[in-house]
Amino acid sequence: MNQIRTWHPFVGPFDPCPPVTCKAYLVPPNLFIPFQPPNWPQFPPAEALKHGTLWPALYSPYESRMLEGRAEGQ
Amino acid sequence: MSAASKPDETYYRLLTELQQLDFVLVELTLYLDTHPHDMQAVQQFNQTAQRRWQVAQAFESRYGPLLQFGHSFSRYPWDWSNAPWPWQV
Repeated sequence: MNQIRTWHPFVGPFDPCPPVTCKAYLVPPNLFIPFQPPNWPQFPPAEALKHGTLWPALYSPYESRMLEGRAEGQ
Repeated sequence: MSAASKPDETYYRLLTELQQLDFVLVELTLYLDTHPHDMQAVQQFNQTAQRRWQVAQAFESRYGPLLQFGHSFSRYPWDWSNAPWPWQV
């Protein structure tokens, strides 16, 4: 499931700043898991530490969008 | 600082393994708080705790104590204050 969602905010005619027409937010997978079922597949310990969770189903990459913006600006 | 306590490849390998096992133990602890009857997870927790203890033993026998105030054994001479300190590695 794609963890990034977007919406298009209202742009007022008197907004002093350039409008952001598309805003994005992240929905991590734990929002849709009311109670974790037992015996989920697991990462090996080294991978778990790197991913920040023991269970692949709960992994949320949380990639920075700041860098995208900077790359375009430069 | 004695030559034996100088960080080498094994030093970082054991520390990394400790860090990985500790993370698994944190995750299993949080999981077991809400799933106290998951027998398999309890077994995995105990096995991981035992493995962690073995790695900690191996580390401490080579590089000195990880914990103080009686939670780790000391070698002779007393080497708690020897470098490297945690923020130096």
